Amino acid sequence: MSAEPLKRKTDIGPPNYQQFLPPIIQENYGQWKYHEILKPGVLVHVSHSGAKLYSVRAATPRLMSIETIRLFADLADEFCGGYLRFTSRNNVEFLVTDETRIDPLIARLRAEGYPVGGTGRSITNIVHTQGWVHCHSAATDASGVVKNVMDELFPHFEAMDLPAKLRIAFACCLNMCGAVHCSDIAILGVHRKPPKINHDALPKTCEIPTTLASCPTGAVRTASVNGKQSVEVIDEQCMYCGNCFTVCPSMSIINAENDGLSIWVGGKVSDARHPPMFSKLAIPFLPNNPPHWPEVVSAVRNIVDVYASHARKFERMGEWIERIGWPNFFKLTGIEFTKFHIDDFTHAGETFARSAQIRQVPA
Amino acid sequence: MTELKHQTPLIDELEKGPWPSFVKEIKKSAKSAAVQDLLGVLERSYEEKRGHWKHGGIVGVHGYGGGVIGRYTDLADEFPGVAEFHTMRINQPSGWFYTSKALRTLSDIWEKHGSGLTNMHGSTGDIVFLGTTTPELEPTFKDLTDAGFDLGGSGSDMRTPSCCCGPARCEWACYDTLNFVYDMTQTYQDELHRPAFPYKFKIKAAGCANDCVAAIARADMSVIGTWRDNIQIDQPAVKEYAESGKLDLQKDVCDRCPTKCMSWNGKALSIDNSNCVKCMHCINAMPKALSPGKDRGATILIGAKAPIIGGALLSSVFVPFIKVEPPYDDFKELIAAIWDLWAENGKNRERVGEFIQRIGLGNFLEQIGLEPIPEMISHPRANPYIFYEA
Amino acid sequence: MEDLSVEKVAETMYGMVKDYHGKKNLKATDLTKAMIEQFGEACDKQKCKEAIRVIIDDGRCTYSYVGGSYIVLNPDYHPAS
Repeated sequence: MSAEPLKRKTDIGPPNYQQFLPPIIQENYGQWKYHEILKPGVLVHVSHSGAKLYSVRAATPRLMSIETIRLFADLADEFCGGYLRFTSRNNVEFLVTDETRIDPLIARLRAEGYPVGGTGRSITNIVHTQGWVHCHSAATDASGVVKNVMDELFPHFEAMDLPAKLRIAFACCLNMCGAVHCSDIAILGVHRKPPKINHDALPKTCEIPTTLASCPTGAVRTASVNGKQSVEVIDEQCMYCGNCFTVCPSMSIINAENDGLSIWVGGKVSDARHPPMFSKLAIPFLPNNPPHWPEVVSAVRNIVDVYASHARKFERMGEWIERIGWPNFFKLTGIEFTKFHIDDFTHAGETFARSAQIRQVPA
Repeated sequence: MTELKHQTPLIDELEKGPWPSFVKEIKKSAKSAAVQDLLGVLERSYEEKRGHWKHGGIVGVHGYGGGVIGRYTDLADEFPGVAEFHTMRINQPSGWFYTSKALRTLSDIWEKHGSGLTNMHGSTGDIVFLGTTTPELEPTFKDLTDAGFDLGGSGSDMRTPSCCCGPARCEWACYDTLNFVYDMTQTYQDELHRPAFPYKFKIKAAGCANDCVAAIARADMSVIGTWRDNIQIDQPAVKEYAESGKLDLQKDVCDRCPTKCMSWNGKALSIDNSNCVKCMHCINAMPKALSPGKDRGATILIGAKAPIIGGALLSSVFVPFIKVEPPYDDFKELIAAIWDLWAENGKNRERVGEFIQRIGLGNFLEQIGLEPIPEMISHPRANPYIFYEA
Repeated sequence: MEDLSVEKVAETMYGMVKDYHGKKNLKATDLTKAMIEQFGEACDKQKCKEAIRVIIDDGRCTYSYVGGSYIVLNPDYHPAS
């Protein structure tokens, strides 16, 4: 420590949000009467006072340079008094009060490469994780897969042409830093081989009791290797979650030949109509195929297309599947059903069909 | 444009296409030596189909146990610019509202001390500064606090709370999510910065059951707006929707109601409010005609989490209805009771939801002094293995 | 008993972290439970919280966060002699 320590402020918390609210919000806080979607990406909120606030929603790639943040700041100054916000799905929203500024702003955003859309019955931005850009346990890249999938589904971002909103989420491993487990379509990176243990480094880098406790299936146990305390993995019990690796850096779960992706469908978080649901397994494994991941892109595309042409108005993915039944989901999408689709963890039995109510197929 | 140090033909492919390109973003910050090498590492990952990062576990700012995540490449010899490439989480303002000035301040700080790459925002809600070195952590922190920002949570602490845009820009907000989150964040600064729990604890505040922040899926304490009285109906506006041809009142509204508590006779919509479960569907379908009641508050649900370790959980009902008003004492008492019990009895890395499953919801309620009520369950137990305490 | 000081708790905690160094990582909750067991009613959670703040703020200990958060010896701690 230096002789004259820096004068430190701590525990001040975030700045008070009130200083960032535009005057129209300060004046109409809690007084909004209704809203409408004027066109894809543009909302108007109307206050009991008659005041109107227009929100122009543009996509961001989530991983953003400060040069882009400065661009957004400049656009906010030019078009809406410097006020903007971000959404829970990594979109940016410009808070406009002058209706005539909406179209010029949209044109500028498009020209800069940040398209406007993602409202209502559309596919909005994919919430996702860090992937190969920054994460130790990633089974795949997040930004790259998301970029390819959104390039493919882009027309659904700019148009509101689906039965209901369709939320896609991406996580690069089972840690799921994001609400992947409750999304209409979830793309999840998976490992498929047990961790490789570095027995020389393990005693120095890992605490053994914590490492044992980290395993959901009790597959990690103590072992003495070359006279040193270490651990071993019971391969048959390992389901490759990588949690031991997070706790113990000497148990690498990364395996380039076998890592890949899985696809899950039918989850939701909102309570509208049907209570929240978990996403369920549709495709257990697809290969990592950078830079374009064509297998993943076409699998997602297929599920979206089948949903779009079969679901009824307002039906989310999970509600549609519940109505038609899982056998029909697999039939319509042409996705193969395998033993991996059948749960075998703690409460597996609850997922078995315990009823003779079956949509029988005529001979 | 800055000249690039590494050839990156694979990731360059992802500069094409209509969706905003993260590769372009990375290149926009290529004047940073770290970012030059980040491009190199990423290209290598695309070639080899594997990541090249190691997780560290001790770097941070002095006195805090959260907010910084140590990160190192395993190819430091080849890519020394990212030998250290730590993440900093900065506590976002409620509802992610900013002025251009605030964004420029953050950008200037990160240009001075780090890579210039960010996430707006991370999954928990923080502003994420992506990539700096250990010696830059303390100076970044100083500039941030001088500008009125502070670090967010990580590790076994209270994570940065987050909320939807609430009454700032939504007519459905049943309570002031922004103020609630600001108050909670300020009240629990110590718990946010100095990890003292078995594992993480997240609070998320959603203004209504549409749950734009995924509170029910992701937060240990999910606070979801609701109301107790009648849905407000503007009958002429209902008629307008019916006549517009855009909505079939019977099919799209009444038949989609989960409790079938609404009926439409061609002239007026009637609602049996005693059977309404506040799901928001009809209000979503007709925002000009229907709105939540006037006696508004929230439902408190507890225990959501992602799969690691014991399997994914959704939050479940603890308090069916509570008024949400400053100074939020009822919430603070409940939080204190939960933290006390969990801190004392929870295992390392056991989330509250898992802890409740282990000891039993009935026992948990008894310990924190809440009465069991039928709103908390989807149905009573079907198995007769009851631990009577006769 | 009444006059158990935060400094005394901090000193005891620091001793415990040193004893366990390389054997078991301790969490804030482990230290708190151990102190309350050792000092009985004279000690409480609030005092433990303050004591943890003392050993972290003066640089003797620091937080580690591989697989959960722990209080460990600070490798950069070099007390002025």
